[in-house]
Amino acid sequence: MNIYEYQAKGIFKKFGVNVPSGLIAYTPMEAQNVAQKLSPEGPWIVKAQVRAGGRNIGKFMDKRAGKKGGIRLSKTPEEVYNNAEEMIENRLITAQTSNRGMLVSRVYIEEYIKTFQKFYFSLVVNGATASVMLLLAPVTPNGDDDIVEMATHMPSQILKIDLGFEKSIHAEALSRIADFMQFHGKKSQLKSFINKLLDIFYNYDATKLEINPIGIDKNDTLWALDAKIIFDDNALYRHPDILRLRPMAEIEEREVVVAKFGFDYKELNTGIGIITNGNGVALNIITEAQKCDADIACSLNIKGGVDRDKIAASIKLIMTNPSVDGIFIDIVGGFTRCNLVADGIIAVANDLGLNIPIVVRFEGTNKDEAVNILNASQLPIQIADSTYSGIMLAKAAIAEDL
Amino acid sequence: MAVLVDKNTKVIVQGITGTQASFHTPRAIQYGTKIVAGVVPNKKDNMHLGIPLFNTVKEAKQKTGATASMVFVPAQFAKAAISEAIDADLELVVAITSGIPVSDMLEIRQKLKNSKTILIGPNTPGIITPQEAYMGTYPDNIHKSGDIGIISRSSTLTYEVVLEINKAGFGESTVVGLGDDLIIGTGYTEIIKKFNEDKKTKAIVLIGGSQGSHEIEAAIAYRKIAKAKPIIALMIDKPLSFSENDSLASEILCGGVTSTAEKKQLLKESGITVVDSLSDLIHELSKL
Repeated sequence: MNIYEYQAKGIFKKFGVNVPSGLIAYTPMEAQNVAQKLSPEGPWIVKAQVRAGGRNIGKFMDKRAGKKGGIRLSKTPEEVYNNAEEMIENRLITAQTSNRGMLVSRVYIEEYIKTFQKFYFSLVVNGATASVMLLLAPVTPNGDDDIVEMATHMPSQILKIDLGFEKSIHAEALSRIADFMQFHGKKSQLKSFINKLLDIFYNYDATKLEINPIGIDKNDTLWALDAKIIFDDNALYRHPDILRLRPMAEIEEREVVVAKFGFDYKELNTGIGIITNGNGVALNIITEAQKCDADIACSLNIKGGVDRDKIAASIKLIMTNPSVDGIFIDIVGGFTRCNLVADGIIAVANDLGLNIPIVVRFEGTNKDEAVNILNASQLPIQIADSTYSGIMLAKAAIAEDL
Repeated sequence: MAVLVDKNTKVIVQGITGTQASFHTPRAIQYGTKIVAGVVPNKKDNMHLGIPLFNTVKEAKQKTGATASMVFVPAQFAKAAISEAIDADLELVVAITSGIPVSDMLEIRQKLKNSKTILIGPNTPGIITPQEAYMGTYPDNIHKSGDIGIISRSSTLTYEVVLEINKAGFGESTVVGLGDDLIIGTGYTEIIKKFNEDKKTKAIVLIGGSQGSHEIEAAIAYRKIAKAKPIIALMIDKPLSFSENDSLASEILCGGVTSTAEKKQLLKESGITVVDSLSDLIHELSKL
């Protein structure tokens, strides 16, 4: 789970990490008012709040926002107002969102801190080594560097320190970081800055904590100018305070359902909506669909432990996507029992009716029982015997339906 | 011959009284798996599904001579259950549980460093040696005994591969599901070594995962194996929209290399045949 920048900064502040003062605003008027409350003179930074990175070099969907990105320096209260007006209720598209972008429901207004050097900083879990890595890289003042791009093409520009399972920074690592940053301030400041971030990382079961960028001002003071924390969904039960920050009604309904059931949901194109019980199968379907020249609207992985409610929720969710013209449910049951999936399909059909074609393929645990359940229901559901035939059936059904 | 699990492996089930374990345990027994004990802390009964229950893994091991455990314990308690099995020095632990917190797995991997236990999973369908035994949640109606060893990070794609290779007239020596979580107990390399020593296995199918750089580690290790058996790796390309997530970005940041294209290149350089679809996989297997 991902939270807004201003919420992450709230956590930073609580742990004593140095962040600029800022206030949240839901309307342009509010933005102008809080700006003047923050500092009488300015300048201010207006930051679009979406749960995705790359905001600075992102673009807004509605043209009223012009070509500028989601983070803007504003010199007068009027500029704050105008920038907020252009952003709020607009959709911001970045490299980390789909091509439909994400709705900006609020902006964060911050005092502008002049810094002279900027660094990308992150703590991430390295799956292969089962350790925590600290990553640091210099970034340009305008902040349009793509860190992943940098890691791919200029890996030597990134300082990588394997912290293992250590919960505080050791002296040797600290020296390497200070040298890398050419940091002239007191080492104790740097040490405490990093240790506080490690505290947050471990305390909240984060899988990633990212600051892009950390800034250093003329007094050699370190500032977290940005804040991003990704929490481990599987550990959220230990953190009721974070759980409360989950996407609520103002975010699209689909995102809420995805979060509630722990689905893996990806929007692609227009055409067949796929429901599967594993990533491997999903990728295989997409490969097969390319061969069959069939378009995929979206892919929803319900993962293991499927029950009637989960499958029903997944079908309902996928039906709310206007790009879906037909549904292909491809279940290869091991842990998942096919008969429970069949029960879920029938529950939705009885509940909502079927207004788009549905093709189902079952394989594995309790397959025969599941096929019998669907056949007995006499619903207009087609049963396929392979992924390939499922795609072809769905494609044909959609062509007929349109 | 088989890898890790055969009809003589004595197996404990941790969390045997839960819904999932109660469903999958009798199926495994019927298949031929020698399930000798169940472990439930503070147990109320002495038997469940006709299997004796114990309070601890240590006690179950002592009384039954079990060497392996299947963990069905819910995610919140899985760290304690897996740790208990490691502390009891079991040879093999298969963790079926999905949704174990990453930080719990960080701790378990620390623990494994000083232990001889092999942990498979978590979030895995387990291990199956067809017509002998399985530890996990495999569909029991699709496997056929044969000489292909399968190692996979994906559960559902494994079932697809099994269906296809059986249709083509092949069968499996053993299928090992490594699990698809960010942090898993065992990577491809250890299992490749085991298949290489297994007399029944003639060729290995490696199925790539949706995250992690375990394939790269395997590719490098494979170069050093003397008289290595042929490996065919199924690496399905991720469409772009599947890659725009943070875990992938983290991998690239940590490892420097992990795009599917780069993984494929490294595998090829190590002498591993790389395919990107099920039909190509069957085609390559037929050539061996």
